Amino acid sequence: MTKNQLRSNPVPDHVPPEMVRNFSLFTSPGMLPTANGDPHAAVTCVHAGPPIFYAPNNTRDGRGTWVITRASDQRKVLQDTETFSSHRSIFASALGENWPMIPLELDPPAHGIFRSLLNPLFTPQRVRALEPAVRERAIALIDTIAASGTNCDVMKDFAYPFAVNIFLRFLGLPDDRLAIFVGWGKDLLHGDAVKRKAAAQRIVAFIDDLAALRRKAPVDDFMTFVVQAQVAGRPLTNEEVRGIGVLLFVAGLDTVAAAIGFDLAHLSRNPKDQEWLRSKPNRIVVAAEELLRAYPTVQMIRVATRDIDFDGVPIRKGDYISCATMIANRDPAEFECPNTIDLAREENRHTAFAHGPHRCLGSHLARREIVIGLEEWLARIPALRIKEGTAPITHGGHAFGIDNLILDWS
Amino acid sequence: MRVIVNKAKCQGHARCWAQAPEIFTLDDEGYIEPGDIKVAKRDELKAARGARSCPERALAIDRAATS
Repeated sequence: MTKNQLRSNPVPDHVPPEMVRNFSLFTSPGMLPTANGDPHAAVTCVHAGPPIFYAPNNTRDGRGTWVITRASDQRKVLQDTETFSSHRSIFASALGENWPMIPLELDPPAHGIFRSLLNPLFTPQRVRALEPAVRERAIALIDTIAASGTNCDVMKDFAYPFAVNIFLRFLGLPDDRLAIFVGWGKDLLHGDAVKRKAAAQRIVAFIDDLAALRRKAPVDDFMTFVVQAQVAGRPLTNEEVRGIGVLLFVAGLDTVAAAIGFDLAHLSRNPKDQEWLRSKPNRIVVAAEELLRAYPTVQMIRVATRDIDFDGVPIRKGDYISCATMIANRDPAEFECPNTIDLAREENRHTAFAHGPHRCLGSHLARREIVIGLEEWLARIPALRIKEGTAPITHGGHAFGIDNLILDWS
Repeated sequence: MRVIVNKAKCQGHARCWAQAPEIFTLDDEGYIEPGDIKVAKRDELKAARGARSCPERALAIDRAATS
């Protein structure tokens, strides 16, 4: 299908025409790659309209979704897994297959079984134990950057190598294929259908091979844990092992790096915020929550399992419902002055890691990575600004991101 | 004061724990331990802040309860 065919997607008959709005996280202004863009600010326009509306082209493959703009409504949707299912096979669909990433694309009660299996590996207490290695990695990268000049591309030289290294360590893998994995991740999340399929095939083959290897020769790492695990008194099937491995792979590649990029871009453009955090490094933990609120990266999509009248909106079985974190996090009904980024904001129940049973499994690790990244940057590199003559390119879409960020401290 | 814990609503955000780990105890999965929490007078401010930080609204404050 061409893009034009996708755009002419018919609006389903049950959607009242007055509830349709010309909005898309993929094609609205500021969503396509934009120099010096601010995609998070660009989506705040929805709050001038109705709390729920229908967007005819709001997924990567051009499907329509309902858009839930209020944080309180998103909470209702994400907490009600009986009505709003997560089973979508986002990854497998790139291969023309239908199997879930686990636990993300399972619904309760099956979801809870796998979540309970994995939760202990990602608790805040466990993350504390990983912290020295995370910090060591941040310091090594930043010291290399500092030694080689007075500017760098934060994304290429820090954000990706940092976040992806930590995830590779978690899987028990060496660093030598890091650049290849980042490339797969980029193709998968942002490539066209051909690139997506090729990347998905490579990732599946890689996870399957790794699982086979760990079955034969167990070591002390995540994949060994998964292939040896039992659920409901039985070992995991190959498809379940793959579903877990693929989810971890995809989740570890992009979001933390993007968050670090957006955060350092904000501090570079707002010298007062930067100076304040430099003078009060113990406030970075609180500031990181505000940066998570202001610059979250993902939208959750749910599928209605039955017909439901949701505050007067006729949602029908099979409809897609978009809960975009970047929209809820700028909801004026939830946050005072939502478009003011106040690094000292205390009341901050943002939705960057979603709500309900699918709350981001890696949230505690992600938080620490972001905090440690900011701490070490501010401690080791002097006043940062965007290098003159360069422009960070930002984009919206399925996962918001920033492609380049050339910072200068000469 | 007492914190009323709705364990079924806890999704392991651990924001309460981040505010006051000595008041809000997590289980091996990183979710809150079941059972309401009696709060000593000196901890009331912290406990209230922790309860208010829950993104799922799983924690409520009962100020009438005596510690």
